[in-house]
Amino acid sequence: MTRAEKINDPELRSRVIDAYGRMRGGDPSGAVRLLADSFIDTLRVHPELLELTTTVRGRPFPIVARWPSFGANLVFDPDAGDPPRIDFVRDRFALSEALTYFEFLVDLALDQGL
Amino acid sequence: MKFGLFYELQLPKPPGADTWDPDAERRIYHEMLDQVELADKLGFDYVFEVEHHFLEEYSHSSAPELMMAALSQRTKRIRLGHGIVLTPPRYNHPARVAERISALDILSGGRVEFGSGESSSDMELGGFGVERSMKKAMWEEATREVCNMMVSEPYGGFEGEFFSMPARNVVPKPVQRPHPPLWVAASRRETTMVAARLGMASLGFGFETPDELGERCEEYWRLVQEECFPIGHAINPGLAVLSTFMAAETDEEAVRRSANGPGFFAYSLGYYYSPVTGAAHQPGKVNIYDRFNALPSEQRDGRGPLVAARLMSREEIAAEEPTDEVQRALFRAARSGQAIGTTDTIAKNIKAYEDHHLDVLVLVAQCGDRKHEHIMESIERFGTEVLPEFKERHESEHRPWREKRLSAVDLPVNSSI
Repeated sequence: MTRAEKINDPELRSRVIDAYGRMRGGDPSGAVRLLADSFIDTLRVHPELLELTTTVRGRPFPIVARWPSFGANLVFDPDAGDPPRIDFVRDRFALSEALTYFEFLVDLALDQGL
Repeated sequence: MKFGLFYELQLPKPPGADTWDPDAERRIYHEMLDQVELADKLGFDYVFEVEHHFLEEYSHSSAPELMMAALSQRTKRIRLGHGIVLTPPRYNHPARVAERISALDILSGGRVEFGSGESSSDMELGGFGVERSMKKAMWEEATREVCNMMVSEPYGGFEGEFFSMPARNVVPKPVQRPHPPLWVAASRRETTMVAARLGMASLGFGFETPDELGERCEEYWRLVQEECFPIGHAINPGLAVLSTFMAAETDEEAVRRSANGPGFFAYSLGYYYSPVTGAAHQPGKVNIYDRFNALPSEQRDGRGPLVAARLMSREEIAAEEPTDEVQRALFRAARSGQAIGTTDTIAKNIKAYEDHHLDVLVLVAQCGDRKHEHIMESIERFGTEVLPEFKERHESEHRPWREKRLSAVDLPVNSSI
């Protein structure tokens, strides 16, 4: 069983596996779009993830803000109260970028038992 | 498990000084030549050298291909590793990378390890006009094409997102076919998994513990076997981990000689890679070593009162570790002393890595203001008292373990591990 197949949430699991298929099929940009949508939907369904922090240079730092900034960038200001969103600053993504977004989302889902 | 040495060519400024002694850079370059020559004679397997630009004090290694060329003529067996070449085209045109790697492979008789990466310091990205959000895409495009250039006769040309060139025969070609083994710098777990999927060895800058390594190793090999779509024309499955290193007659003496090397290594790394201090760095006007020395001693050394008495245990280190992966790597670089101590202590500590099937342990000896004679003695002690038994087990136990895993891989392999 792959790590993505261990995700409990059937919808998230299905979308992540679909994204992986797009990567293998030569469409990393499509994979990034699907992963970004899945990430934002996950944050909407599980707003408690926004509260999770780690410590960086002595200060609390949101774990979700570790979402890679390769051009599908997370916009998230906890103080403003707006829901998090992804800003796409470019359309084309490389395979290694798509793989990194994929690994991030799978790790987040498994670490949080989603 | 095999062993390598790792070089940033660190050069802290003298306390209170605006610049270095005029002979300082010449001195550390020639000391490195002597150290690697000794390591080669003693049977060390690899030397890895970084490519960094403008990171004064932290790394004066901006032209590793020249150091490697010099080493190719002073050594016989040790593998010459770029750890790593910056491949986004604004740093180095891909054709120039292919030419240099191939030329070095010829000069060294096929001993090159081709590590690649993109760096993330503002000093380097800004210095060469590399857009941060694009650097990984640039790395991938350029690295893939460098591999293509080394195998294609002629190279058919390329119209890419980040560089283009017409058809040319990029010569010379490397001795190792289809090309030297591929590595990528990986400071986070996810990058190691990307490495597996692209068929590259992971040069781990996360100072991973043996237990972490064990988990990563299992997943890494599963990905290599089941989900690999190679960036090059031959894969190089492998995991390497960095560890700071100093061997001496007693644990206490090793800690004393280790001095502030690991602490400065971590501090100066954090300084340049922090968006706060790194972006605000005033070139030529800061004494980073003075800033480091102004820290409270427990932050500087990381061992506090334990220094005089003994090494920190793995449990003691783990109890204080930050949860964030990058911060944890810096913490470990400064404080964990898995390869600091007597050769008995070191052998016991690093055996745990061997038990978890680590391929290469890369030792950071040259850091901070450590003394050349202490580094030479460390290499000598390790090479004569630790290395032989691990080398023997590498052949008798680890190589068959790898071959079993590789038997499930249906891709061309070029690996020196």
